Amino acid sequence: MRVMGVGGGAREHALAWKLSLSDHKPEIFWIAENRNPGIYKICKDNQGELRTGRTTDPKTIVRSARGWGVDMVVVGPEEPSFHGIPDALEKEGIHCIGASQELSIIERSKADLRRLQWENNLPGRLLFRTFKYAREASDFIRKNIDTQPWLQNIVIKPARQSGGKGVKLIEDRLAYLHDDKERFKEAYFDSLQSSMAAYSDIEDKILVEEKAWGPEYSLQCFTDGKTVLGTPLVQDNKSAHEFDSGPETGGMGSISGPDMILPFVTREEYDKSLKIVEGIVEAIQKKTGRSYHGMVGGQMMLTENEGPTIIEMYSRLGDPEALNMLAMLKTDIIDVFQAIVERRLSKLKLEFTNEDAVVVKVVAPNGYPEKKDKAKGHPVQVFETNIKRNGCYLFWGNADLQENGEVVTGGSRLLALMAMDHTLPPASARIEKTVSSIQLTDGWGLYHRTDIGSEQLLAKRHDSAERVRRLYKYREEQGTLGRRMEWVPKVGKVDPSQLLLKEMRGPEKA
Amino acid sequence: MPGLVGFYTFGEGRENWDASHFIHYGLSALQGRGQESVSLAVIGPGNALHTLGGKGGVEDFFEKNGTGIPKGFIGIGQTSSYVDDHLVHVKAPYELVLALDGKTDLHENRGEASKLFARQLSQLLHSEKEPLKATSMLINKIGGGYSFVALTHKQELISGRNPLGVKPLETGSVGFDIAAVASETCALDVMGIDHTGPVETGEVIMFTPEDIRGNAPAADAGNFCSYEYVYLARLDSKVNTLPVATVRNNIGRELAKAHPAKADVVIGVPETALPVANGYSQEAGLPQELGFVRTGENIRAALEPTQKERLVGVQLKLNPVKSAIEGKDVVLVDDSVVRGNTLHNTVLNLKRNGAHQVHVRIGSPTLISPCPYGVEIPPRDELVSSSLNEKELANNVGADSISFMTVDELQHAIGLPRQNLCMRCFENEGATR
Repeated sequence: MRVMGVGGGAREHALAWKLSLSDHKPEIFWIAENRNPGIYKICKDNQGELRTGRTTDPKTIVRSARGWGVDMVVVGPEEPSFHGIPDALEKEGIHCIGASQELSIIERSKADLRRLQWENNLPGRLLFRTFKYAREASDFIRKNIDTQPWLQNIVIKPARQSGGKGVKLIEDRLAYLHDDKERFKEAYFDSLQSSMAAYSDIEDKILVEEKAWGPEYSLQCFTDGKTVLGTPLVQDNKSAHEFDSGPETGGMGSISGPDMILPFVTREEYDKSLKIVEGIVEAIQKKTGRSYHGMVGGQMMLTENEGPTIIEMYSRLGDPEALNMLAMLKTDIIDVFQAIVERRLSKLKLEFTNEDAVVVKVVAPNGYPEKKDKAKGHPVQVFETNIKRNGCYLFWGNADLQENGEVVTGGSRLLALMAMDHTLPPASARIEKTVSSIQLTDGWGLYHRTDIGSEQLLAKRHDSAERVRRLYKYREEQGTLGRRMEWVPKVGKVDPSQLLLKEMRGPEKA
Repeated sequence: MPGLVGFYTFGEGRENWDASHFIHYGLSALQGRGQESVSLAVIGPGNALHTLGGKGGVEDFFEKNGTGIPKGFIGIGQTSSYVDDHLVHVKAPYELVLALDGKTDLHENRGEASKLFARQLSQLLHSEKEPLKATSMLINKIGGGYSFVALTHKQELISGRNPLGVKPLETGSVGFDIAAVASETCALDVMGIDHTGPVETGEVIMFTPEDIRGNAPAADAGNFCSYEYVYLARLDSKVNTLPVATVRNNIGRELAKAHPAKADVVIGVPETALPVANGYSQEAGLPQELGFVRTGENIRAALEPTQKERLVGVQLKLNPVKSAIEGKDVVLVDDSVVRGNTLHNTVLNLKRNGAHQVHVRIGSPTLISPCPYGVEIPPRDELVSSSLNEKELANNVGADSISFMTVDELQHAIGLPRQNLCMRCFENEGATR
């Protein structure tokens, strides 16, 4: 059988690796924007080939798939889905594991996701508002901050996935720093408005959400549209530097295991999270009339108001979270994909190891994520025997294999190292021992986070989980989970959820 | 002894942050570490370093200078217990501004020693390619006991703690935009920044517009200042990962176990000794009463420079609550005794207001040596415990008994191994490295 993959990151390298381990012995073909050295080798070793091309261009993808005569295509990243790659393939009768364009709206438009939750009364949601103009956003907040105190602590996001525009977290709890926070917030609204003006495909430009706090985790799932099967929880780490400091990145490393749950999440929270993701899949299928077959993931957080809560949705596997999940997956991945294609996921026995914990650490060139141009083009040297000796695995990310056999950095996350062990700290330590096996030969620096998987960081996560759990459990006991109620002097009781729903319904019809 | 703050921002929109405003509140929280002079330095657009210094307390400084406070999006600041103690500004070969807590061994005089350190740092940053490595080498080479933050014209914020680790330094961050360092965690809290952990001994952490980098800390745990726990640090801070409040409670409990007294009530001398008195009361099973109300600002008597100011400080500070002490035998708990003047006034005040017996219990050993790392413990001839024994001191201050903790008891209360605590002011050995 012939399988083709799309995408050139560490997640796709891991997918290719897992495919190469299948008993079905598939021939492996790939399309990526970069010549990922890992994928290149796997394709070559498995009677296939890696071709570079635009992964968001349906014509390119369809032409290659037909040319190679593949039986199935697996889409790694989100952008191909946003551009309708799965739709184009299916029109040609080629099976595709990946969310179709309409379904991928749950990831592409963070505002539509929230609307979906509130319209369908789905749990695990956050208060939000969307705005077209910066002025509108600042006016709304100034006008309502006293009657809707949730507006003090907010997350500002581009309402639509947008290159280079990040998330800003604003906590405005300290009166003496209020002006500082307001100035920063309003400047960011302006900046979002101008950079989002280029996107004509959506009305909303700016999304403002209730800021929650608590430990985050990802629940990645396989779905055939009828059944949603959960995989082990994984926690990614978004900040560039130790102990969650520094700029936002695509993810600097992740942990999972040694079971389906993480050490700081309960089984009950897992089950609730799975229900929440199922709810989203069901609702988006109903709304679009399309069937979801591929991967879907909830980027979750335990919050005081809701318990398990969706921060964002993935219409694909996470990068690097995919590495953890695939490493733990015992079922043949081709069997999983075939079950999705044939819509018999409910009959599949999806198995994961319960003996190993997995730690993944991303290695990035200095300069990432703020100055990617500086981080780009540095030649890489890898001491593979060292990596193997320490029982680690290497997955190439934003790296490019040159014609002369040299690998150079692409400016983004270079690669991920993965290790497994009975618990997380020894797996983390194994990577620490190995990480010097990767160097840039021109002397440019590389960095990674030493704290991921360490006892210290786990203790911090555990502590945060315990605190927020006490709060949401209290609400559960009181019967106020998921409700937000304020009492405002001179106004009385205010329910911001009702205000939101009223605004979503629009002006009352006479 | 200065309190240090470093404020750093990342990412898009960073020019919209007002570093001075954050530093203002951070320094306010560190006011207890010094109230004689304040200074700060910031970098705004165009990479120009702006500095400003002045006399007095933090609030005064910011109020007096108003719109004259330099604006920028990254910066450092210090509040110091030394008069005219300001940031060291080195213009060439590599422009930087330095704030240093403690003392390097480059010169007898603390200020000169900091200047020499700043010059060497500037030289190294200029000549060495790898600034992190260069700074790391420097703090391993230059002895003394110190922590520092420096801001360079290239928007680098360099913070570090020499391998001895006598002086505290903590890091924090919030969101994806802001990171900070400060002498104490309370300053991070007040700036609305989450504490992420200490700068380890021998560690250098460098913030640049692109990243945060650190060297490997020293393998040795260091030699932490025990006086931080006894008196210097704020109650709501953590020092070397230990909560100060917990340590002060332990000190009180340890004191009660080893130095009991027959009395009706336990009274602490505000502010530092209140949690110690609380621990004493809990362990001894005696009620704790609030025996004094403070008037005016919290003047830290031990660090006040002149005898006159000290007396004014003490009297403003402590007005006895008569009903709490009248006709009672009192255990009076204080954190430490420097010159003995506070104690003398306090005991006298209690007795004049109707207390019967007064048994003084001190939550630290006798202070007998000056601090080689810049804490203003006066010269030996001003330290009452270096001349008088407990009995003599009791007679001198008018107490019925007085007893100090031993060094072992203090170490036990703090809970860190002896080799990781600097107790040089309590004995004639200690930090000998």
